[in-house]
Amino acid sequence: MAAAARPLVSVQPLPASLNDMATDHVTTVALPDVMKASIRPDIVNFVHTNISKNSRQPYAVSKKAGHQTSAESWGTGRAVSRIPRVSGGGTHRAGQGAFGNMCRGGRMFAPTKTWRRWHRKVNVNQKRYAVVSAIAASSIPSLVMARGHRVESVPEMPLVISDSAESIEKTSTAIKVLKEIGAYPDAEKAKDSHAIRPGKGKMRNRRYISRKGPLIVYGTEGAKMVKAFRNIPGVEVANVERLNLLKLAPGGHLGRFVIWTKSAIEKLDSIYGSFEKCSEKKKGYVLPRSKMVNADLARIINSDEVQSVVKPIKKEMKRASLKKNPLKNLNVMLKLNPYAKTARRMALLAEAERVKSKKEKLDKKRKPVSKEELAAAKAAGKAWYKTMISDSDYTEFDNFTKWLGVSQ
Amino acid sequence: MGEEVMVAVPESVLKKQKREEEWELAKKQELAATKKKNAENRKLIFNRAKQYAKEYEEQGKQLVQLKREARLKGGFYVDPEAKLLFIIRIRGINAMHPKTRSILQLLRLRQIFNGVFLKVNKATVNMLHRVEPYVTFGYPNLKSVRELIYKRGFGKLTQQRIPLTDNSIIEQGLGKHGIICVEDLIHEIITVGPHFKEANNFLWPFQLKAPLGGLKKKRNHYVEGGDAGNRENYINELIRRMN
Repeated sequence: MAAAARPLVSVQPLPASLNDMATDHVTTVALPDVMKASIRPDIVNFVHTNISKNSRQPYAVSKKAGHQTSAESWGTGRAVSRIPRVSGGGTHRAGQGAFGNMCRGGRMFAPTKTWRRWHRKVNVNQKRYAVVSAIAASSIPSLVMARGHRVESVPEMPLVISDSAESIEKTSTAIKVLKEIGAYPDAEKAKDSHAIRPGKGKMRNRRYISRKGPLIVYGTEGAKMVKAFRNIPGVEVANVERLNLLKLAPGGHLGRFVIWTKSAIEKLDSIYGSFEKCSEKKKGYVLPRSKMVNADLARIINSDEVQSVVKPIKKEMKRASLKKNPLKNLNVMLKLNPYAKTARRMALLAEAERVKSKKEKLDKKRKPVSKEELAAAKAAGKAWYKTMISDSDYTEFDNFTKWLGVSQ
Repeated sequence: MGEEVMVAVPESVLKKQKREEEWELAKKQELAATKKKNAENRKLIFNRAKQYAKEYEEQGKQLVQLKREARLKGGFYVDPEAKLLFIIRIRGINAMHPKTRSILQLLRLRQIFNGVFLKVNKATVNMLHRVEPYVTFGYPNLKSVRELIYKRGFGKLTQQRIPLTDNSIIEQGLGKHGIICVEDLIHEIITVGPHFKEANNFLWPFQLKAPLGGLKKKRNHYVEGGDAGNRENYINELIRRMN
C-alpha cells in the first residue's frame, strides 16, 4: 500500500516562545502502517500476562523451617495421636506435635521453593503482534477514552508533536507543552489520583498507587526531553526503538494515550515495516494480516453485492394448525373436496324424497279402499285365476282332461 | 454521503426502500398467480370428484345387477379376486423371529394397530403368509378407504409426517403422477391404479386406535374364532371400530 494512500496526520506545532521554533507552520506526516494493524485484545492480554511475570523476584520459605527438631512419633498405645512429637523434656515444647503442616510450629504444606518457574517465555512473533496491536489501538480515540484517559481536548489522534519538543530541558516548559497540546488533563488526572494502596501491598513497599498518564515517545537517541518529562506525575517516556508492551497496554488493556514526536512516528515505518514490506530493524518481520480486511459487518450485509442476491425476508412463518376431521367438519371437508357439498345436498334431497314417497305409500295403504278400486282389484284377481286354470299353452292337456276330472 | 435534499437521506436507506418495493411487487404478483392457479385447480378437482362419485355408484349398481342376474339364472356371481388389501398389525414388538420382524418392517407395520394398504400379487401374498399370526387383513370397501384417508391420513413429505389438511400437500407429494387432491388419492388406492405404489408410499402408515369392543382372541387365526389372518370383508367392520 503506497504511503500516498495513507491519511495524513498533522504535526502539532509548539509555541514560538520556546526554542525559537517559529519557522514552519503545520506540517503533516503520513499515518504509519502500524496504526492500521489488526487490534487483538486477546493476544495483548495473553502476552501481557506472561510478560509481566518476567520481572518477578522469587520468594520462598526457609528450607529448614519446621524441621529444626528431632521429633519422633510416640506410636500407639499412649492415648495420644500419632503425630511426631518433640523429644526431650523440661520445657513447654516437649511432647508438642512437630513436622506436620497441621502442627503449631511445623513445616507448611508444600514449602515454597525458589526454583518455581517465575518467568515465562513468549514467542517473539506474538510479542511483536501484541506491541503492534497496542500501537494501533493507541491511535483510536474511543479505545483510549475507554481505557480512561482524558483526551477530550486533544486536537488529533494519533497526537504528533514537532521535534522541537525533544530538546526541552526544563520540566516547567514540559508542563506548558502538555497544556498546549491538550494532554494536561490526563496528566492532571494521574496527579490527582495519587492514593495509598488498599491492602497488604502497603506494607510491602508498594505503598502508593496512581493512574497512568500519557506516554511520550521520542525518536532521537539521547534526547534531553527524557529528563524534562520524567518527573511529571503520571507521564512516562519511551524511545520508539524500545517500546514496551507493559507501557503501551498497562494491565493488559489496550489504548494508552501516546504522544509521538515527529521523528518517532517517522521511524515507526522502518521499525515495523508495512503489510508487504519487511521491517528494516526486525529481520524478516511483516505486519500481521487480519482475518477480515473489512470487518464492518453492517456495511458488508447492506452492500449491493450481497443485497442483490439476497432473498426477501419471510415475515410470517406459518405454523402447523390443528388437524380437524373432515368427516365431521363440513368446511374442512370442502377445503379438500369441493364436490362434497353437492354430494351431501343430493344425498339429503334423495333422503327427503325417499321419506316422502314411503310416507305416501303407507298413507295410501292405510287409507280405506274406495268401492271402485275394490271392485277393480277383485275383477283383476278373478281374471288372473282364470288364466291360471285355463292354461291354453299346455298342449297335452287334452289327454289329461279325463284324469283330473276338470270341467272346462 | 447523502443527497442534498432538504434533509440528507442516507443512500443506504434509499436503497433499502427500493429493494423492499421490488420485493413487495414480486410477492404480490406471485400471490395473484397462485390465486388464479388455485381457482382453476378447484374446478378441476370438483369435476374429478363428481366423475369418481359417478364411477363408484355405477360400480355398485353393476355389482348388484350382476348378482341379481346370476340369481335369476339359478347360478352364483363370484366376485373377482380382490386387488387391494388393508393390513392391521395386531401384536406387539416383543419376542419375534427376526425374519418375520423384517417382513413387518418392509410392510411398514412397526407398531401395534398400524395399518397399511397393500396391492395383491404373489409376492405380497407370500409375505403375508409368513406374518399371518401378527396381522389381520382383508378387503376394504370404499367407505373404509375414504374414512381412513380423511380422518387419519398423513402424507410423507421430505421424511416428515404431514397431516392431509390441504390438497396442496397431496399435489406437492404426488403432483407428478397426476394426483392433486384427496379424491384422486382415494381413487388411486381403491382402484389399484398405475401409480398405486407411489400413492400408497406417500401415505404414512395409519395409526389406528385399539378397537372399541375389543378383539376376539389375538393368538388364534380368524377361522378358529380368533383375530389373526385373512378375514376378507369383515375387515371393514374392524376398521369402523378402529378408526
